[in-house]
Amino acid sequence: MHAICFTALLLSMLTAVGLAALAGIKALKDDFGTVPLLEKGQLALTVVVVVVSVVLVQALAVRDFSYAYVRDYTDTFLPLFYAVTAFWAGQNGSFLFWYLCVALMGWCMIYTPGYSHLDNRTKVYFWILFFLVEIFFLFALTGPSNPFTKLDPVPADGSGLNPLLQNPGMIFHPPLLFLGYAGYTIPCCLALASRLSGNGREWLDLCRNWNIVAWVFLTSGIILGAWWSYMELGWGGYWAWDPVENASLIPWLAGTAVVHTSIVGRTRKTLLRTNVFMACLTLWLCFFATFVVRSGLIDSLHAFGGSRMGVPLLVFMVAGFVLTLYVCLVPRKDDASHLDEFISRPGMLFLASWLLLCLGGIVLLGVIWPVLSSLWSANPVGLDAGFYNRVCLPLFAFLALIMGLCPWFGQKSGINDKLGLGIVLATGIVSAAAVYSLGYTQPLALLAAASGLMIVVSVVATFIRTKGLRSFRPAWGAYGVHLGVALMVVGVAFSGPYKVEGEALLTKGQSMNVGGYVVTFQDLRHDHDNPAMDMHEALLTVTRDGRDVGQLTPQKRLYRNFEQSSFAEVSVIPSLGEEVYATLLGFNETGAVSLKVSINPLVNWIWIGGTLSCLIAFLCWRKIEPR
Amino acid sequence: MTNAKNQKWVYLAAVLLVGAGVGYLLFSGLSQNSVYFLNVSEALAMPAEKLAQARLFGSVAGENIVPDPASLGVSFTAQDKDDPAKTIRVHYRGAVPDTFKAGVEVIVEGTFNPQTREFEASTLLTKCPSKYEKNEKGQMRPPGFNG
Repeated sequence: MHAICFTALLLSMLTAVGLAALAGIKALKDDFGTVPLLEKGQLALTVVVVVVSVVLVQALAVRDFSYAYVRDYTDTFLPLFYAVTAFWAGQNGSFLFWYLCVALMGWCMIYTPGYSHLDNRTKVYFWILFFLVEIFFLFALTGPSNPFTKLDPVPADGSGLNPLLQNPGMIFHPPLLFLGYAGYTIPCCLALASRLSGNGREWLDLCRNWNIVAWVFLTSGIILGAWWSYMELGWGGYWAWDPVENASLIPWLAGTAVVHTSIVGRTRKTLLRTNVFMACLTLWLCFFATFVVRSGLIDSLHAFGGSRMGVPLLVFMVAGFVLTLYVCLVPRKDDASHLDEFISRPGMLFLASWLLLCLGGIVLLGVIWPVLSSLWSANPVGLDAGFYNRVCLPLFAFLALIMGLCPWFGQKSGINDKLGLGIVLATGIVSAAAVYSLGYTQPLALLAAASGLMIVVSVVATFIRTKGLRSFRPAWGAYGVHLGVALMVVGVAFSGPYKVEGEALLTKGQSMNVGGYVVTFQDLRHDHDNPAMDMHEALLTVTRDGRDVGQLTPQKRLYRNFEQSSFAEVSVIPSLGEEVYATLLGFNETGAVSLKVSINPLVNWIWIGGTLSCLIAFLCWRKIEPR
Repeated sequence: MTNAKNQKWVYLAAVLLVGAGVGYLLFSGLSQNSVYFLNVSEALAMPAEKLAQARLFGSVAGENIVPDPASLGVSFTAQDKDDPAKTIRVHYRGAVPDTFKAGVEVIVEGTFNPQTREFEASTLLTKCPSKYEKNEKGQMRPPGFNG
């Protein structure tokens, strides 16, 4: 079976190469009749990758350890659910999964109504570019990243899945990211194809839904990752500015900018070249993100490094970027663009996109700084988390401010609704004063909190004051996303700078005081009945001003197969206000426990806002009539 | 036409303003939040006074891991990843991560003490591998530390 799957992927690659070459040669002779053949080719590639993926999932499910991949990421004790999801736990499987998503999306593309709007020339260019992306994946899967390596003799058991990955948050975080990355393939290929074939700006309308879908997947993947980091890693935070986290944020920033520049492009018939460039940039940044994670070039807390995918990813990404630059820089007659007044909605969208790109550039610079600095420094110089907080957070706060004000500007110029803008500005001043008087005086947090509240009021007031907006479904989507972002901004503004934490070693009956909460250690329980793990659980009671707040039961787990290290299971008292969060760091023979307790104000609004943004974005979906 | 020309200036001014703001932020970030990223051997080769703030990459030596229950911290010897003979003694105060044990790769941030030639760490991070190797016998856990 191993050899059959490998051969099927190899044949897929040869097919894709052959079809792309044939279509290219015919296109040079102005023959664009290859479209039906290319579509059939895509269907065949999709069928093959679906079948080999099923084979791998089946092998994971029955723990067929003759597959090196199954041996490396599962063991016989792993629950079936986690065994199946090991599909994307390792590099080889995750590339297969990414390629599976790309192929399925290509297959969907054929049946979307938007596709029928394209002329044959654009379709041919589209498929050539799309096949090039698929060839890259097939090259990886049949070369440096083969998931079907056979083991002989077959080992009795596997190495097991990293316990940190045995959590629902982590199970869905990687596939969502890959779905997002895969989703950006179509806008990129279609943008380039449309420009190559001289087919104006129609692609902007046809890619709108794809951009939204990709954005939702990427956003939900990032938020789920942050939630996992908060609930599973036990360090009390959700974003550490680690290179691997930053890597997924960079394409997200570009993708978010694309959503906004494409609005300007569609409604104001301008920024055509910019949009082509940005749509492509987003995809290449997805590959850059994978390169950062997989190349081992950048020292990160996540040791994925040292794989053989670094060079191929870099070459592919650079080649794609150069092609994009070339295609965008060759002028076309419909490039003429005009600028609306700066004080207008398109002006603000332009500014916001600009800020998002700047943020992406800054994060990218921070990630590669250790590599860059080795050009002039004998020893690499890196940047700590303080760098990102200092440089990025003011820009994010400024973006939030623009979001609150933008709805009141006119489509072409000036201010549309002075009363509305006045209400929002008044909200900003009043809420800043209120937050300040409550003792939250940090200027940046104050600006962010006030901006967040301004967005909330702005969204509500826009719906009340604008005629016809309530009956326009996409507006609910767009403003709903902004409402979710506003909740996240408020959550970050408070949970970041105003988190209080403490660590202590407690014996039974002893208490510690963290931010006004008294945490008392009551008991340590030991549960060794579960065959997969050995667990210790501390029972803590929490009071504030003598009133009972709740109980915490942080755990320390020792998983079978991973006896050399134990894993903390965080416990929280969920709250929309201040959330009490505890990690059991360790315990000794005398029964004393060392604990880390933190008070996280408004942290749950980040997850609420994030969930709202991701779900409601689907209302932005617009139906395209088939031609 | 004049309007369009004016708008160009407005955009240019906006770009310059945003650019200046971003430039200032970047400059202050780069000048205040830069730290040397060093392997143990590189840190040993650097003059100690240059290491006011550094991030050290190494692995935990098997011997002499001394937990400090009073401060929840641990003292250990960090080895160079390529040349285990090169070591620096590290004192860390704070919560020790779950995955800390002999043999793992660690990243510590803090300052190098020129007098004692030892590293005072304020953060201790262990690498988070996506793939775990099978248990190796002979690896020891920090004595008295069940966490």
